[in-house]
Amino acid sequence: MLLPLLFLLLFGMVELARISYTYYALNKILTTVASYVGSRQAVNFCDDGDATVAIAKTFAITGGNDPAGAPLVPNLEPANIRIGIERYDAASDSLAACECSVTGCDLAQGGTAPGYVVVSLADGYPVRLAVPFVNFEPIILRPQIRMPYAGT
Amino acid sequence: MAIQVVVILTPVLLVLMGLAVDLGRIYLIKGELKNAANAMALSAALELGGTDQSTELATAAALRAVETANGLGNKYDFAGLTIGQDTGFLTSTIEDTQYFDTASAAIGEGEDISGSAVSGSAARHARVTLRADAPLLFFGLIPLGFERKTPVAMRSVAGMSAPLCTACGIEAIAIAPLAADDTVDFGFVRGTRYTLGYQCTGAPVPAALANTSQRIPYLLLDKNNPEATLFADESSQLYRVGSGGLPANSSEARACFQINSTHLLWASASVLACSAGGVQNSVRNHFCGLQSRFDSVPIEACNAVAEVGTLSTVFPVDSDVNDLDDYAAYTGNRRRVITVPIVDALAATTEMTVLGFRQFLIEPSNGTNVLNFDTPNARFPAMYIGSVVPLKQGRFSGCSISSGPGRAVLLR
Repeated sequence: MLLPLLFLLLFGMVELARISYTYYALNKILTTVASYVGSRQAVNFCDDGDATVAIAKTFAITGGNDPAGAPLVPNLEPANIRIGIERYDAASDSLAACECSVTGCDLAQGGTAPGYVVVSLADGYPVRLAVPFVNFEPIILRPQIRMPYAGT
Repeated sequence: MAIQVVVILTPVLLVLMGLAVDLGRIYLIKGELKNAANAMALSAALELGGTDQSTELATAAALRAVETANGLGNKYDFAGLTIGQDTGFLTSTIEDTQYFDTASAAIGEGEDISGSAVSGSAARHARVTLRADAPLLFFGLIPLGFERKTPVAMRSVAGMSAPLCTACGIEAIAIAPLAADDTVDFGFVRGTRYTLGYQCTGAPVPAALANTSQRIPYLLLDKNNPEATLFADESSQLYRVGSGGLPANSSEARACFQINSTHLLWASASVLACSAGGVQNSVRNHFCGLQSRFDSVPIEACNAVAEVGTLSTVFPVDSDVNDLDDYAAYTGNRRRVITVPIVDALAATTEMTVLGFRQFLIEPSNGTNVLNFDTPNARFPAMYIGSVVPLKQGRFSGCSISSGPGRAVLLR
């Protein structure tokens, strides 16, 4: 009678801790990406193939510079990490997405650097609680980091 | 017997679960608050440019780092709660950002270490403190955590770094020191208006502009990029450099100047005789870029710049184009602030060695709020401001200097 309850509590505890750890690891990965790209120069956030962005994602996800390296968080891929760019809009007194244009943030067209970078997971990161005999819906973790862009 | 064991073990189990789950959550929330505080402090530090308005701008910038109006931003508790908002049960507060003139005062825990909280133009460092309640799941079931929440606080400090040895995105205008032995200001006097005029040879030497103390000759250092594919025409490159400083480039040699490095004069910006009363087209094209900091509509003389119509839309004009006698009163977006290399001596044919970087505020032409090109030798008035505005990009290593502009960095 008591044993199943104890096991449920123990499994629940372990799973909650796993979710916390996964979220912490994801948060750390996104922080690393934001810090890396947020302090470099000539990063073109409008170019999906930008080398600096690719290096930052690889480094954050694998802890090294080998794109084929094992991810620190299972199944996390560079494509999952979304980097948004924002600028302060004085007219609305708020942050707005920086367009990929010559007057925006597309360096390839002559645009200039954004004010902020926002790093998040495109569709979140699903984690399924693994408790025996109980089927839970996946929990979607959605960490996000906004950092001022301190590059040129 | 079994019930007795359960009664005894239940609090122990809850404490263990609290340790595993609640402490983990507290740790996680602390991490999220630290990220947010870092972003806020850095945002604030980037705005500390030595003007009376700078702390006001910095406070607003700090709050933008946790703004969530568009659904994005730094949050806490699994990114579910907005920092600075009260959910009814959980409270989060953003303390007023504090400003300090020294890093030690900003980092210090007490009221004052070697300086005290300041405001306005004296502020060089920002301290951000965030507080939030962390919810307790298991600890809340024992008397220890009867409130079912516990306060967490995080603090970050950011400010101007040590002087940079490599400065990126700055202007390519080289001037010589007025006093080489003055390592702080190179003989320039803060708050003094000078006439920066392009170097020329022979007599008569152009006069200083009205309301300026003396004429300081300048040269354009060669940052022509023959490999450029975007705005590749040299006239466009000069306009871009004049308009926004050296364009971003993955090559540090293209986008930056380094102390003790040597540079030649921009080849097509050669020096003319003063008696000719003019400058090369290259100097004019660069001047057109400087003008664009005041007015987005290029004057007729600038139509010779390739793609000038597109280039003139890239940067906004300065939001304060007023003629100022006191830099602290400046309220603009820093488009008029230029950071220039100070070189050992101006030389038209030999290499010039960069000694340091210093900053000026370009003033509008006398009696106007624009920069006119109707003066010989591409002269323009500029107020020397020292090195108060943080640069966006650069490195500290590679030289030994005690004064000069730094960049905004996290200190703690």
